[in-house]
Amino acid sequence: MSHWIDGNGGVYVAGIGLHRYQFPTQTPYTHLGLTAVRAALADAGLAWQQVQSAYIGTTSIGMAAGPVMLRHLGAGGLAVMQVENASASGSFAFRQACIEVTHGISDVVLALGVDKHGDGRRAANKDGLEHLSDSATIPAVKFALMARSYLRERGAGAEAMARVAVKNHGNAARNPYAQLRKPRTLEQVLAATKVVGDLTVPQCCPRGEGAAAVLLVSGHALGRLGLERKRCVRVRASCANSERHQHPERSEGHQCPERSERHQPPERSQGHQHPERSAPGAPRHGASAIELVRSSAQAALEQAGIAATQLDLLELHDAFSVEELLYSEAIGLCAPGEGPAYLERGDSQIGGRCAINASGGLLGMGHPLGPTGIGQIVEITRQLRGAAEGRQHPGARWGMAHMIGLGAVAIAHVLSA
Amino acid sequence: MTHDPAAMTRDLSTLPAQRPSLYRLAADGRSLDFLFAQCPACQALSFPANAPGCMHCGQAIDASAQVLRPGGGTLLEYVTLHLALAPGLPVPGIVGDIRIADRVVQQGLIAVDDESRLHPGMALRARAQPLASGDGYGCVFVPDRQAAQ
Ligand SMILES: [Zn+2]
Repeated sequence: MSHWIDGNGGVYVAGIGLHRYQFPTQTPYTHLGLTAVRAALADAGLAWQQVQSAYIGTTSIGMAAGPVMLRHLGAGGLAVMQVENASASGSFAFRQACIEVTHGISDVVLALGVDKHGDGRRAANKDGLEHLSDSATIPAVKFALMARSYLRERGAGAEAMARVAVKNHGNAARNPYAQLRKPRTLEQVLAATKVVGDLTVPQCCPRGEGAAAVLLVSGHALGRLGLERKRCVRVRASCANSERHQHPERSEGHQCPERSERHQPPERSQGHQHPERSAPGAPRHGASAIELVRSSAQAALEQAGIAATQLDLLELHDAFSVEELLYSEAIGLCAPGEGPAYLERGDSQIGGRCAINASGGLLGMGHPLGPTGIGQIVEITRQLRGAAEGRQHPGARWGMAHMIGLGAVAIAHVLSA
Repeated sequence: MTHDPAAMTRDLSTLPAQRPSLYRLAADGRSLDFLFAQCPACQALSFPANAPGCMHCGQAIDASAQVLRPGGGTLLEYVTLHLALAPGLPVPGIVGDIRIADRVVQQGLIAVDDESRLHPGMALRARAQPLASGDGYGCVFVPDRQAAQ
């Protein structure tokens, strides 16, 4: 079946570039962004004048960052557009670039994510509606609540999610572009300062700054531009959606909260057959957020024509450690309830069944917001090329970049070698 | 902020609500009534009451849809806040997701000393809590002993 993503001969990532993610500095965003763009141009072997259009993902720089930055590459007269979608800003800039290429509007498009650490102003705080508690719009609190329910329902301890931080900080230590490059032991992660609930500091992503750039080229233009097909990675799917329910619990199937939440099924393997749950397996609390991830990933897998278990690489939104367990189940890498075992067996390590967050993820590589989603594409491209020196996942053919953003929105891209 | 003996005896009726769009003092002078909007189309309750649309079906709603209900609900989940993630939050303090009406869940501060007194599924009621500044009362949740009996 043909999809829009296959239009114009398909869309390929031909060039990648990064400015290292780092703690906030006085470095102007123009320097961060231009470093990534120049690296992507050099990687692709393209000249700036060949780029027809640019999408800039950013949350905190302010209006019209693109033209202010890109004029230093020489006036190109290209179309420039800024994209803001919270954590998913870069992912959505990438998606817009894909749409422009596959619809034949342009053959060479830049997607750039660049950000400085901002003041975190959010539309959700300006809607004129009050909350009973000021904690209501703090993501760390939301995920700590979800973590508590997840661990209780799975019969798992806090170390189950702390292991996510151990793996991802370990991967980041092998990534020269990562913000945090120190491996951490399970004991260190568990003993670190507590933030909220069972989440300690190394289980919460750092904020910072950085930039990530990719150059997208149509399949029809690859030959004309003299680009080597085997250095290019094809985008096989792009799907986006938003949350269906505003409340954090399932709307049906919760007639007996005491029984389903207080008396835990002891066997992990039977956790997903609990009779009181309306959708087998999904954690009851936070179900709408999980459904958002599941449905976006499922749509992307269908568009790409593969099963989740065929993924070799998965970069996902591990802003808080528990998310990786929740989403590895929701995306279908493992069965519901198997997230902790999948991680503990080493299945999500580099060299395992599917390397999750080989880059170090948001926990280790960092989460500068605008660049994050494009940084995922950069990592997957590097891995699919077999060029991720020091952290290469062997034999990688398929990768997914999955991101969520405040609100909540989700977006998934599938790429193949 | 949990057990201020003076707060238990203080007359709160002369103080303003910190968030009058959400709640007001109940007849007993201690509990809170919550302000909901009842949808003219699907009859479901939305919170807060000044939301511009029904949170269940999207029907436009206005001030005429507002109804008062005793504040409280079912505790779904809770955690202890260890770091001050926003100004005004007690540290350490307990926050929870509370189902305050059918398909309406809000985070709330729970005024107990530690998590051992809580369990998912328990009934909570909303209580007025004098603000440290002295210029009003806010909302905290406490175990509903009446419901537990
Ligand atoms: Zn309605």
